[in-house]
Amino acid sequence: MPPAIHPIDLVDILRRHRLTPVIIFLTSRRGCDEAIDTFLHTSSGVSASRSEEIRAFLEQFAKDFPSIANHPLIPVVQDYGVAAHHAGHLPSWKIAIEELMRQGLLDAVFATTTLAAGVDFPARTVVVSQSSVRKSQDFTDLTVSEIQQLAGRGGRRGKDFVGFVVVTPSPYIDLHVLGKGLTGQPESIDSQFVVSYPMVLNLLKAHSLDQIEGLLAKSFAQFQLNQRAAIHQNRLDELHEQLQPYGPRECADWVAQWKVFDLARRRKAHRRPAINTDSPYLTACLPFLTPGRLIGLPKGPAIILRHYRSRGMGIPMLSVLHAKGTLGECQAQRVAQIYDQVYEFQPIRSLPWCSPSTLNQFKNVLSQLPARLPILPILENTREPDDSLLSEILTDEFACPTCPSHAACKKDFSVASGLQLKAQQVTKTIQALRDGLWHQFQQKAAVLHKFGYLTARLELTDEGEWARLIRINHSLLITELIRMDAFSGMAPELLAGVMASIAHDDDRPSSYMRLTPGLASMLVQVRQVADALSAYEPAPLLRSDVAAIAERWIGQTQHGWSSLVRSTSMAEGDVYRLLARTLEFLSQVYGLKVTHSGLADAAHQAMVNMRREVLAELP
Amino acid sequence: MNDNDLQRELVSLPIKYLHRFAKGRIHRHFRLGKRRLIDSILALPSDQKLAIAHDLEQLSSIPKKRATESSTAPRQTPLHPRPSSPKKPHPHKPTSPPIGLQDLLEGIGVPEPKPFVPDDWQRKAVEAIAHSDVIVSAPTGSGKTFVATEAIQQAMATNQTVIYTSPLKALSNTKYMEFSQYFGADQVGILTGDRRDNAQAPLLIMTTEILRNILYDATSGDLDLRLHTLGLVILDESQYLADPERGVVWEETLILCPTQTRLLLLSASIGNPQELAEWLISIRPTTSCHLIQHTKRSVPLRGLYLHPTGQLVPLLDSRDIQQQRKGYRFHPETKRLFSEYEFKPYH
Ligand SMILES: Nc1ncnc2c1ncn2[C@@H]1O[C@H](COP(=O)(O)OP(=O)(O)OP(=O)(O)O)[C@@H](O)[C@H]1O
Ligand SMILES: [Mg+2]
Repeated sequence: MPPAIHPIDLVDILRRHRLTPVIIFLTSRRGCDEAIDTFLHTSSGVSASRSEEIRAFLEQFAKDFPSIANHPLIPVVQDYGVAAHHAGHLPSWKIAIEELMRQGLLDAVFATTTLAAGVDFPARTVVVSQSSVRKSQDFTDLTVSEIQQLAGRGGRRGKDFVGFVVVTPSPYIDLHVLGKGLTGQPESIDSQFVVSYPMVLNLLKAHSLDQIEGLLAKSFAQFQLNQRAAIHQNRLDELHEQLQPYGPRECADWVAQWKVFDLARRRKAHRRPAINTDSPYLTACLPFLTPGRLIGLPKGPAIILRHYRSRGMGIPMLSVLHAKGTLGECQAQRVAQIYDQVYEFQPIRSLPWCSPSTLNQFKNVLSQLPARLPILPILENTREPDDSLLSEILTDEFACPTCPSHAACKKDFSVASGLQLKAQQVTKTIQALRDGLWHQFQQKAAVLHKFGYLTARLELTDEGEWARLIRINHSLLITELIRMDAFSGMAPELLAGVMASIAHDDDRPSSYMRLTPGLASMLVQVRQVADALSAYEPAPLLRSDVAAIAERWIGQTQHGWSSLVRSTSMAEGDVYRLLARTLEFLSQVYGLKVTHSGLADAAHQAMVNMRREVLAELP
Repeated sequence: MNDNDLQRELVSLPIKYLHRFAKGRIHRHFRLGKRRLIDSILALPSDQKLAIAHDLEQLSSIPKKRATESSTAPRQTPLHPRPSSPKKPHPHKPTSPPIGLQDLLEGIGVPEPKPFVPDDWQRKAVEAIAHSDVIVSAPTGSGKTFVATEAIQQAMATNQTVIYTSPLKALSNTKYMEFSQYFGADQVGILTGDRRDNAQAPLLIMTTEILRNILYDATSGDLDLRLHTLGLVILDESQYLADPERGVVWEETLILCPTQTRLLLLSASIGNPQELAEWLISIRPTTSCHLIQHTKRSVPLRGLYLHPTGQLVPLLDSRDIQQQRKGYRFHPETKRLFSEYEFKPYH
């Protein structure tokens, strides 16, 4: 969303108040480019001498980086001292703009908020006109860290006494997000550790299982999980204290005994409910799907208000409050994520299952959820469900009706069993927090064994020995393709095309591009394999247009960069990034030269063809 | 509540709440300004409006609570609460006249060139890295690179190998040029997926992924990149540890790093550097770890609000922007102009 003020007025006002040079942050690349275009044919140019300095610099720079020599934005930069800087540009162009800015030759740079961290690219002033950024499909508020990284570019060390951040409104701006961002504490960082297939193979190559368990325990993830576990441990201790008065009576575990007795009584009265066919995973989840729990549904986060089983099939169901503020019913099976967050409330037995004030409180909670929520790891139970145990006991005679504790048990049962249930829940949570990573490792290792990369004793097979060298996203897909000889005898440009479609994870709108028949049929085959593997590894986008771009660049070396860029609607910078990433994937395939020399040769040839013009400018 | 009342209520609200009401009800509500949002809400079917009116009542009954909640966001490190500073009186007395634009624009200019004098925190970090791991958490542009170059110098003087990693290839390239100029081209090498330029140099630059791969290869005995002389690993932009996709690579690297190698983590300001330091200490028992936390900006930063009409006013009611535990306040002029804008974004 562009700011409400015109770019030319904006720069003029800042110039007048001696607030330049300035970096103006906008949401979209297009916004940046359009802002630059408005400067054409205006009178607010820079002095002739400055114009000359810029020209001289760019001319010199183009000697090392020929790709910028005929850049279409050069006239605007020279005449008006303004520039755009975003991911749609080539790295060489961005480096040139950064250097011009450092030398103080520019007045304004229009940039997107993706401006990379760590690039020394300061100005006297930064302009912010938004409080949110587009992330996947939705707009998300900027975090405190993000705002401080943007604002932090205001005020150059050694060149400014003071720096400025100027807020100017655009239609979707929340001043308070910015106010908080500028003055608040940056967010804590949380571990994002996940166990991947290459990690499992590489760890098993050099370490024993015991050592690996130790290595995983050293992760920041486990460090933070342990802290969460400690909090749950305190809660468990409290619960045990509360359970004190409900210790052993006539029978040691009177709560369980009473529960079975109670159930037996009821079953006599009713028809036996449908047999429990819940999957082991669902069974493991159910104890956590209790009222007040925050969960993730495919549509978004929700809070559970009650749980029950459907009348006919006995399927576990939930009544939930969606983030939109609407009530709904859904199958427990559809829960995508269980979060480590429970809100205590008093359930009631009719719609809306809680008091109106609770409902409002929950709506509030849901509308203000942080972007990342702590996920509760779930461990599947390997133990048989205690249904068989139950039916065994049901045939026995019960002592309960004549037991001296009968009255006390009847009175205390609901409180005690509630506390026990909570204690069990917490115990399981603690266990899951402590063992979650190790469990993840074992699951991944089981998959690798299934596919033949590991022996039953978790040693690397011959396949595993080379597969561990593929350490990129979608490694399982790539190694499986190699094993089924999908690439054998393949031309370098086809290999590059396939690698490009696997490597490219960006879902920006696709461009038109003709596919050769060979590549098209190859991509169909890759898609089939990817779909077959999707239970073990999320399938890549496999865009055919990006495959065609790579195929063309590798295969038709007589065509240059500008002709390639003209043939697609993708931005130059995106094409560059696509090819650079493809290069990385190819180099991993090249790493298999000992075991797969033919394939490695093709990869190498593709890499050689890749490295020309712009792609050869930087290491 | 009739439409007129509803409209009046909506007008008095910050636009943020209007967007919240509109979410799921009005298509592409985030593209609308306040006036058009209110119009669209009023055009909704009556049951929807009723629901909104109900939400509105809830909202107005708890405004106080909401305000205090948002300004005192809970910190996420319950095990290590900050020592609470003695309660200071509120820094802004409501009676003092609001700060003027002239105060804010005072002092703009270029300082005289001065010889380079390292800051205290920079010197402390450089001293500490000689004998322990170091985590530096400092704002953008405060001079973390200086700590890196000094540490590299120290290590190279004793014939140790240094690896410097960054999260981005673009950044690696910039640093390669910068360091080549500073240390001499023959002293610096760069490693990418497919290229090794001067890989036997004492200072090697690479992305964190490449280092992770090297460490895996080294543990399985495949490759020795002078790892036995590896004295120092610098991880720039360490806040990437929290990156959803790539953060795991930083953890793998830190876990697999040889014990004799010292670690220098450079990070933008983060909320829990203490926690990070405690973690490093716990997994590297033979080395100590120094946390250098610097929160003050080197160049003071001031806030301005620019109205679409071109009017420039102070953003906050204080002159310099600083971390404020007690919350912040917008300048009255900013408040007035912004509410005007919210109502008529397209004037
Ligand atoms: N003590 C000092 N005195 C004066 N200038 C300094 C000092 N330390 C660093 N600088 C200058 O500050 C600028 C920014 O430094 P640097 O790039 O190291 O920041 P950084 O902390 O790495 O920021 P980022 O988080 O963006 O990576 C450089 O131009 C540097 O020369
Ligand atoms: Mg830096």
